Amino acid sequence: MTAPFSEFGMLGPRGVLVAGFVIGVAFGACLERAGLGSARKLMGQFNLKDLAVFKVMFSAIVTAMLGLFWLSKLGVLDISRVYLPETFLIPQLVGGAIFGIGFALAGLCPGTSCVAAATGRGDGLAAMIGMLAGVLAMGAALPTFQRFFTSTARGGFTIPSALGVSEGVVVLGIVAIAVAGFAIAPRIERHAARARE
Amino acid sequence: MTSLHRALAAVALLLAVSAAFVGSSRRTTSGGVDVASLAAQIEHEDDHVTAVELAQWIKDRKPGLRVLDIRADSEFEAFHIPSAERVPLTDIAKMSPRGDETLVLYSEGGAHAAQGWVLLRSLGFTKVYFLRGGLLDWMDDIMSPTLPELSGSAAADSARTAHATLSRYFGGVPRVGEAVSLPAPTSAAQAVARTRRRGC
Repeated sequence: MTAPFSEFGMLGPRGVLVAGFVIGVAFGACLERAGLGSARKLMGQFNLKDLAVFKVMFSAIVTAMLGLFWLSKLGVLDISRVYLPETFLIPQLVGGAIFGIGFALAGLCPGTSCVAAATGRGDGLAAMIGMLAGVLAMGAALPTFQRFFTSTARGGFTIPSALGVSEGVVVLGIVAIAVAGFAIAPRIERHAARARE
Repeated sequence: MTSLHRALAAVALLLAVSAAFVGSSRRTTSGGVDVASLAAQIEHEDDHVTAVELAQWIKDRKPGLRVLDIRADSEFEAFHIPSAERVPLTDIAKMSPRGDETLVLYSEGGAHAAQGWVLLRSLGFTKVYFLRGGLLDWMDDIMSPTLPELSGSAAADSARTAHATLSRYFGGVPRVGEAVSLPAPTSAAQAVARTRRRGC
């Protein structure tokens, strides 16, 4: 058995949808359990009083990264079949900036807005509707911006190839940043809380 | 931080330090060849272009197109497909993929170019093709194609004119004669002769 199961035909189209649903519900449940369904909690990340977003996201990144690396090394996973999104430098920088502005304004990102809406929060519902409207509008405007969207293409661009180091070194670097961040997070939170008093 | 958090962080660091020593996540270090997807591509004949297709691409100035001649220098000097650049097969290992390029390899018959195709695909190039039948097919289908007689059918005649125009664009001399499609081989000898012409 080699993963990704969908790529090797072990999950049919329906199986992929079922797996996606189960993983999506688990993702939402974890976000809610971590308290990320609340815009207040997310704003804590921006004023550094509560670094829960950093901790949750980096825990997930480190887990997924170590998992992918070692499962691939052990031959359980064929990493060449895991989709690597192509890089379009300028369009993605612009998209990231718009995403960040929306994130700071709403206090929610796409995943957490769905969680907030599911738990009955009005702001979550508003953010989710806004997000879906934005997706629709962008889709409709796609032909107009086609040239911009596909500009500054870099193909499947990865950190190891950009830095000219091995994947393992990048894994170590990111894990080191995460662990150091977890270690000093309580101090940053205490400092920010005192500064705001 | 509880002791559980510390233990998890220690495990993560241990795995990460080992990862740094191991280096690549691939089981084999020399490029990850995805044999199943390459086989499917070959099966669907997505791996090559015909001489007429390549000629059309060059004429249309297809964006990002690079035609690579992997024959010897002397052969390249004697004749090469217009716009082609000479790249020895041994230099292919030093190439790195660029997102916007479409590479077409050709050799005299086609075998070397097909082998080069596999090498480039294993290096992570995705838009790579080889010229089926190699330069021999280019000579037959572009430089001195044999066009069918005017048939009266509009579709066939416009295809014939397009082929003739394409050939003349590259300085070819189209001849009019027997049908361009090869007759179905009636004997084993003919089949072998046809295979030979394809070159290897």
